Amino acid sequence: MNSSIRLAQLQNSLSSLLSPALASQIHTSTPLCRVVSGKYRITKKRDRPLTYEMANPPHYIAHRKSWNSWNTSSLKDGLRRSETAVEDEFIRRFMTGTWHGLVCSEVIIKRQFNHIRVAAIIRRAVSPTKMYFLLGYTEELLANWLQCPVTLEIQTVESFKDVVFKYI
Amino acid sequence: MMNVVKRLSRLAPAIRTTLSPNLIALRFASTPSITSIPSQISKENVLPTMELDKLYKRVELEMRGIDAAVLLSYSWFCVAAASHLGIEVTKNWALRKAEKERHTLLRCVHIYKKHKVQYEIRTYFRFIHLQRLTGSTCDTYLEYIQRNLPEGCALKVTKIECQKLPDHITPPTVE
Repeated sequence: MNSSIRLAQLQNSLSSLLSPALASQIHTSTPLCRVVSGKYRITKKRDRPLTYEMANPPHYIAHRKSWNSWNTSSLKDGLRRSETAVEDEFIRRFMTGTWHGLVCSEVIIKRQFNHIRVAAIIRRAVSPTKMYFLLGYTEELLANWLQCPVTLEIQTVESFKDVVFKYI
Repeated sequence: MMNVVKRLSRLAPAIRTTLSPNLIALRFASTPSITSIPSQISKENVLPTMELDKLYKRVELEMRGIDAAVLLSYSWFCVAAASHLGIEVTKNWALRKAEKERHTLLRCVHIYKKHKVQYEIRTYFRFIHLQRLTGSTCDTYLEYIQRNLPEGCALKVTKIECQKLPDHITPPTVE
């Protein structure tokens, strides 16, 4: 979701448990009050790789993380909220599909007036000629479908290991 | 005699040019590629009356954004650009808190009314007031500012112009 989203929980009957005398009982929240989105479970072998974005759960969004799509549709008196969101989702799926298995990070979409800038980190598994072809192909087709000038700003990385933040 | 001349001029263009040398001069003068312009040209095509530049008492910039830090850095950029152009910046301030739009939704798809989720969408504001600008300075400055507007930020410009009082309004005469 673009723009600033903060989750606040309405807890039913736990205000008494939050007093410092009963600090040991804080973990007894009901299962329904727990937040599970954007969080990864640890594995027994501790070999699951997480990028920096995956390692920080969503409540760190304005603090340690930043948003993935930047546009003015979510501001007060902002226009085209739903269309922008749908276009962003389309761009993300198109990028993941065109650079299949090569995208190592989240796809970041920035809009300035008419101009759409798509940024991602790609790993160098394909020859440079093919990379340039894919670059031009993506820019042309996205510009044709979205009817806006589209620029692709990609950074390359040797392998996925260069993007891993920690193993869980 | 004049009828003969008129008939001849309609029939053959070559004859027309020899008969009336003034036409050649006018025809050449109308094409833009010729070097010297004869002074017979009517003075209506020369420069129009000079338009005076507009004068602005105050220009107010209102910036809205998702991130307060981005707005702060953009305001530094605006103030620096104004100082380079010699524009007076009187005020540069932000609201202490953002405007928030809150939605409370049910956490589950089916029943469990007591468990809910709250989302909020924040809009941060920042204001800059510039004093005493001319029209051309204002246009240049605003063009530069708008081209460098960061993504996720919106800009609203309000210009307050100074105009001369119309002539039909006169101060009251003491009688």
